[in-house]
Amino acid sequence: MGKKRRGPTLDELLARPWCYYCERDFDDLKILISHQKAKHFKCERCGRRLNTAGGLSVHMSQVHKEQLSAVDNALPNRQSLDVEIFGMEGVPEDIIQTHNQRVVAQFHQAEAERQAQTGNPPPGAGAGGQPAKRPKLENVSDLKKRLAEHKAKKAEALAGGSSGDVTPVGAGQTQNAGTFSQSPSTAAPSSQYTYPQPYGGAGSPYQQTASPVYQNFSPGGQSQFPPSAQYTPSGFSPQSFQGTPAQAGAAYGTPPPFPPSQQPQQQTPQTNTPPQAAAFAQRSGSLPAVPGLPQRPAVGAPQVNAYQLQQMHMGHPVPAAGAPAGAANGEKPLGAEAAPISSSVDDLISGAAKEADQAAASAAPPTEEKPTKKDKSKQSRLVYSDNETSPEEKMAKLPRYAFVPDRLGETALEEQVPAAVTGAERGPDTVFDATD
Amino acid sequence: MASNQFIVASPPTDAISALKFSPDPNSTRIVVSSWDKNVYLYELRDENGSVGEGKLLQKFEHRAPVLDVCFGATEDEIYTAGLDWDVRKIDVATSTQTVLSSHEAGVRSVVYSKEHQLVISASWDSTLHVHRVDAPESIPSIIPLPSKPFSMSLTATKLVVAMASRALHIYDLKALSLLTAQLDGTVPNKVEVEPWQRRESSLKFMTRCVACMPDDAGYASSSIEGRVAVEWFDPSPESQARKYAFKCHRQTADDVDVVYPVNTLAFHPVHGTFASGGGDGVVALWDGIAKRRIRQYQKYQSSVAAVDFSGNGKYLAIAVSPGFEDGRDDVVEGTVKIYVRELGETEAKGKGAK
Repeated sequence: MGKKRRGPTLDELLARPWCYYCERDFDDLKILISHQKAKHFKCERCGRRLNTAGGLSVHMSQVHKEQLSAVDNALPNRQSLDVEIFGMEGVPEDIIQTHNQRVVAQFHQAEAERQAQTGNPPPGAGAGGQPAKRPKLENVSDLKKRLAEHKAKKAEALAGGSSGDVTPVGAGQTQNAGTFSQSPSTAAPSSQYTYPQPYGGAGSPYQQTASPVYQNFSPGGQSQFPPSAQYTPSGFSPQSFQGTPAQAGAAYGTPPPFPPSQQPQQQTPQTNTPPQAAAFAQRSGSLPAVPGLPQRPAVGAPQVNAYQLQQMHMGHPVPAAGAPAGAANGEKPLGAEAAPISSSVDDLISGAAKEADQAAASAAPPTEEKPTKKDKSKQSRLVYSDNETSPEEKMAKLPRYAFVPDRLGETALEEQVPAAVTGAERGPDTVFDATD
Repeated sequence: MASNQFIVASPPTDAISALKFSPDPNSTRIVVSSWDKNVYLYELRDENGSVGEGKLLQKFEHRAPVLDVCFGATEDEIYTAGLDWDVRKIDVATSTQTVLSSHEAGVRSVVYSKEHQLVISASWDSTLHVHRVDAPESIPSIIPLPSKPFSMSLTATKLVVAMASRALHIYDLKALSLLTAQLDGTVPNKVEVEPWQRRESSLKFMTRCVACMPDDAGYASSSIEGRVAVEWFDPSPESQARKYAFKCHRQTADDVDVVYPVNTLAFHPVHGTFASGGGDGVVALWDGIAKRRIRQYQKYQSSVAAVDFSGNGKYLAIAVSPGFEDGRDDVVEGTVKIYVRELGETEAKGKGAK
């Protein structure tokens, strides 16, 4: 799939040149070198840019007769002149290692955050990467079950000997080859299980191929659950089928058992959406939203609870589907008409934040405001926190700085020029103030 | 970091309260006031005229710690303000001290306006005393303030007084001068003067320092909560819209933002950029117009009490003394230092808006 890349890969990040002195990374080596020349190897006196710290040191001593003691603008432990750095050359191995470790850690953290935020599966894995692993695990537990089913089936087939059963299964196979890997119960699928690929692709093909399946059924069935009933005659046990999507849903996390994009569209012609559909849509929180679909917010609007709203406002990781749906719904009571239509999650969230700021009536805004305020000012500690008394006043109160009024009296006689005026004015105050 | 910085010999023995360069562009003299009750006068040039180390020319003992100092009309004239409630004039040539006036509490700051020949002192008794230098016999006028003044700065035409309760008054020096000239004789010479502008500080916390731009356009103020605000005098909405504040002198330790007071500000007389010194021991140069930090110097071992640029802008003097803000009240030997940094041609020059 020609999907847009969301960010640099780990390899790309690791390959980026970075500055030994300040740990900044750059697009290419040229920029790094010019950065070093401008920030770390520039002569303070004449502005000349040298190539290395050593060069600058020599320049300083020869031209300005001064001794360079440390590299400018460098991190505290990187100011040494002993390490000869030019671009990425000369960086000690252990420092490269720690840097790489940090980049890797940061990358994974960012990745995890982004995944949590968007609810997207990790890149590269696409929709199938994670599932590829999961079904394998699942296999172990399910295999026996399926084997038992299969055996039962065989036994049944042997016992019944009806040839009618075979045809629907065969049809099902062609249609569902990779998708309902568990549903086919003939001997053929067992060979499929050995391939990881059908599973690997399970996530995406699921939607594509499964939807036609439902398209076929829903006009007849009219609701989501009947399809299983329709399948039963074809030889599947209802439990096994229903169990499959549920498990798949749980395993894949994001792709829901029922392709949602199809569902509402199918429902649109029907003016009366079945209540189950709405309820279902709400229940599966991981339902990818259908942007720009007018029906959804109307249906789902009242269903968003305060908790979801709050979560969304706090900027906590929200499943991708939950966010737009929640935002759209959250906006409704706050009176934003355009918001449900806008498709970008960011827009919605920022819009919601704005709304929240304005409307104090809603329960959400207070919960939303607090965390952002905290985020802004972190934890801060004032070194000098007395907002009423200046440090000088405090100091002046220290006994060793105390002004002795007696001495004032003595010296005042000698030095006071307008003694008649000021002396009279301050006489009593002097005694009073100096004592406290 | 280059070693274009030297330590001035024989520093004060206790915390430094103020440090001023001579406004004379050709001079390299500094006066320093200290809590050790002395005012120190240093000359940075040696006999050969080269700048380095500097030497102590004279020391003037006071009765109490000296909180502020400034040069007068010439280098031979120094004004001091101290905890002994007095405003003094020191004649360097004769080493004589004259008390100009006495407040009713410690005097926090003193400034000299050469354009109007006024010495203005601000005291914790919440008054300003305005002394007319041209008429030494006249009795200083007393101007009441709404709160205790913490810092004072002036330009050719204006006087900015930053006070407690975030109050800030801007006085028109010409008006002050005229007014004080008219008032004479009555004792005490108290006069209510309506400031040209009354403002509330843009900063939420106590104002620590205020410094005026050399081009008379505005001023910068700093607070105990690691922040600096830059504002303009012009009361028009356009000019007022330009004002801003920024955070600085903070350090993050264990996810806690440690916020230091910004003790001192000083504008560069030529480039109009300014330096800030904080309780974290850091001195930073800022371009107030382009809203950019030009550079930050390596941390000094203790709080920066005062900074000042020389008259020609070629030197930056930095007074480092233990921060009383952390509740320490003992001065460790050797922690009080005066650094003088020789600035490169463009070191303090703004890069211009990008």
